[in-house]
Amino acid sequence: MSSQNTVLLTIINIIFFSHLSFAQEVNIYSHRQPFLINPFLEVFTKKTGIKTNVVYSTKGLAQRLKAEGQNSPADVILTVDIGRLYIYEDYNLLLPINSKVLNNNIPSHLKSPKNTWYGLSKRSRVIVTSKERVDTSKIKRIEDLANPEWRGRICSRPGSHVYNRALMASIIAANGEEKAEDWAAAFVSNLARRPQGNDRAQVKAIFEGQCDIAIINNYYFGKLKYSEDPQQQEWAKTVNLIFPNQGNDDRGAHINISGGGIAIHSKNKDNAIKLLEFLSGEVSQNLYGKINFEYPANPKISPSSELVGWGIPKEDQIPIIKIAELGPVAQRIIDRVGW
Amino acid sequence: MVNSTTALKNRWVSFDTWTFIPFLLSLILFGPIICLFITASGDSEGLWQHLYQTVLLKYIVNTLLLMIGVSISVLILGVGAAWLVSRYEFTGRKLYDWLLMLPAACPAYLVAYAYTDFFEYAGPVQNILRTFFGWQNAQQYWFPEIRSLGGAIFVMSFVLYPYVYILARTSFLKSPSSFYEVAKLYNKNTFFSVGLPLARPAIIAGLALVCMEVISDFGTVEFFTVETLTLGIFNVWLGMNNLVAASQIAIVAFIFVIALLFIEIKSRASKKYSDSTQRQTNQNKIQLPKFKSLICAIFCMVPVFLGFILPILLLFSHSLKTSYHQDWIKLSRVVLDTLMIAGIGSISIIIISSLTAIIAFYKGKSFLNKFTDLASTGYAFPGTMLAIGILVFIGLIDNFYSLIASGIFGNFNSGVLSGTILVLILAYVVRFQAVGYGSIRSGVTQIPNNLIDASYMMGKPFNEIIRKVVFPLIKTSIIAGGLLAFVDIMKELPMTLLLRPFNFETLATYTYQFAHDELIEQASLPALLIILAGLIPVIIMNKYLREIKL
Repeated sequence: MSSQNTVLLTIINIIFFSHLSFAQEVNIYSHRQPFLINPFLEVFTKKTGIKTNVVYSTKGLAQRLKAEGQNSPADVILTVDIGRLYIYEDYNLLLPINSKVLNNNIPSHLKSPKNTWYGLSKRSRVIVTSKERVDTSKIKRIEDLANPEWRGRICSRPGSHVYNRALMASIIAANGEEKAEDWAAAFVSNLARRPQGNDRAQVKAIFEGQCDIAIINNYYFGKLKYSEDPQQQEWAKTVNLIFPNQGNDDRGAHINISGGGIAIHSKNKDNAIKLLEFLSGEVSQNLYGKINFEYPANPKISPSSELVGWGIPKEDQIPIIKIAELGPVAQRIIDRVGW
Repeated sequence: MVNSTTALKNRWVSFDTWTFIPFLLSLILFGPIICLFITASGDSEGLWQHLYQTVLLKYIVNTLLLMIGVSISVLILGVGAAWLVSRYEFTGRKLYDWLLMLPAACPAYLVAYAYTDFFEYAGPVQNILRTFFGWQNAQQYWFPEIRSLGGAIFVMSFVLYPYVYILARTSFLKSPSSFYEVAKLYNKNTFFSVGLPLARPAIIAGLALVCMEVISDFGTVEFFTVETLTLGIFNVWLGMNNLVAASQIAIVAFIFVIALLFIEIKSRASKKYSDSTQRQTNQNKIQLPKFKSLICAIFCMVPVFLGFILPILLLFSHSLKTSYHQDWIKLSRVVLDTLMIAGIGSISIIIISSLTAIIAFYKGKSFLNKFTDLASTGYAFPGTMLAIGILVFIGLIDNFYSLIASGIFGNFNSGVLSGTILVLILAYVVRFQAVGYGSIRSGVTQIPNNLIDASYMMGKPFNEIIRKVVFPLIKTSIIAGGLLAFVDIMKELPMTLLLRPFNFETLATYTYQFAHDELIEQASLPALLIILAGLIPVIIMNKYLREIKL
């Protein structure tokens, strides 16, 4: 065969057959970056012999799944943030799962009431303060950040980022919409600069002295502490970590989840269930802490020793689905106060 | 200036089916856009009221300021540099001639990352200033904030001006020297009386691309938190779980851009230029005295330095900082896949935009021309929104297919298109059709009508005229469009991310997984590769332009 024909056949092959599934595969739509999920998938394939195929995108995968309908090749959906999981369920894109293992491993406030999605790891929204310039005894609750004392001293990521929107939703759930909006307005008036940057950048700003207080996801603290860049390690050294709302009568720190579900038109359901069960099991649950400083969703697994070292927070126990339901209300408040 | 083609045009339309080709192609290209309109036609649940009361004005003002700011700077940089290198001889001119194209290879959002690190409070620039002047903290001096509207204008201008530069330069080179000579005889300014009016379609085509790129940009404005309409679209879609209202905003922005384009086309319609003399474009460049020559060199150096050299140096120094284990085998696979998809995509774009632009221009009536124009506006949508239009469109086709297939084969629930690389290629064509079409269209408008008229009178068939007359004259425009499309596809992120098949990575998506976490060290090596691979088409184009010696 001439080389031209070979090339042509290869192209035809890629175009028309690359999407077809063969035996022992599972196809994943993932909102998590490949470099974070690959370590899990490698172990999974090694243990089960099931090959994994991944499409990663931060946005729009739910719309893709919806548009593809019954032609979709997807089996498993992996996301970060409860809001995204909720959208899949809202669009009826998830299959109710009947798995004893999953129901055993994942507590009920971290899963869908319809068994369509399961939380797989937890992250906490925490306060970081400058070791030098802030007396930690003055900040016990997330509500304290509205005190006029902190005027011009807080840095923040834009309010409409999923993490802040979820935090806002948790405050609405706890205190009601009106009080939550008052809090947000006061919080915004305390900002040292226009909301910008990601969680990492907030810690950097404290290090630089642009502000003294910020809100971040707990795992960013670990990522900075163990960064390859010695400078980022320095940033982490300049801040204290405060878990908010830890008082005896208080609700606990706001948590969010990463999670997964099975696509409603999945053609490899058994493999898909196997993958989710694997992710909720001991090996994976330990990996979440090791790779990304996240807390295991499975209560039988204890968090990594590094996480234990920072202190294990008391968690806000409201059903996680409430956070998703209040998301749009939270966004409206964020728009109104200009966070 | 002769303009008898119109009369001839109408006569030919009646007895050929040529016009069917651009019509059908445009219909396919317009399909996803129509799907987006359908998505937008639902109930927005009163969200506009909320937006109007809170953030809408801010979104609109920021978007306009960004567009105006970037437009002014790219016109000065792009047209200025193109005029200098095509009309004057100065130190380093030949080098700048192609160096000036290079920033096109740099994705704006990556340059934004690199520059933030460089210019912010903790970055080397301010550190040096502080050490030098003995300042202690941010309150003691003023330094422009890079994460701002101004910062976004700065970054976007220096990576986007090549769109204007490349098209303007091609046009300046093609302008007949006889016109310049006449202008000189009458002691008129050659730039304002000849160069600019003749290159206007090309410059506007470039500027339109820039404006569409600006209005659809997400990466840079998100990073700098400049609250534009596109940022708003995502807040509404993902934040309020309201895709209907989000696509409505996208469509408002889209209509705005289209309106601008039509105003320009209308105002241009009254002015027709074509050269009725024998083409003599081999202009002699004007030799400049030393001082002026230096000024020209500096003018050309600035955009090359800020849009290309500095970002490369910054990324390079970041890539040295990391010990992250690069999977070289994986990375080389990614490079090959990127080149392959960009190659297939840009060739498809060139073929489709040639067919639509040329046939519509010579054969089409006003309707077909407007329709082909309209079908090349996918560029004005934010990538992710357009991707949703594509998904809906492909979904419809696949469902239709499985319906028919089920009728024939029984239970058949697998689409032919969903999840394949064809989805991605269609997306690229819909989005970057504007790049090829704009370039080719501006090339076609510069062809003297009398050449075509003469060919018709000799009884030559249309396809022969295209092959022997039109095609050779617009070769450079085709290549310029193909080059821009290639580079654009290589850089393209949001659509590739969402529409790709399983396990398929381009350099842009590979870079993004790190960049998303602001892990600039890990992101910088693949980012450098995007830029380096982008050099390949630039070099080809440069070599080609020299060979044909316009």
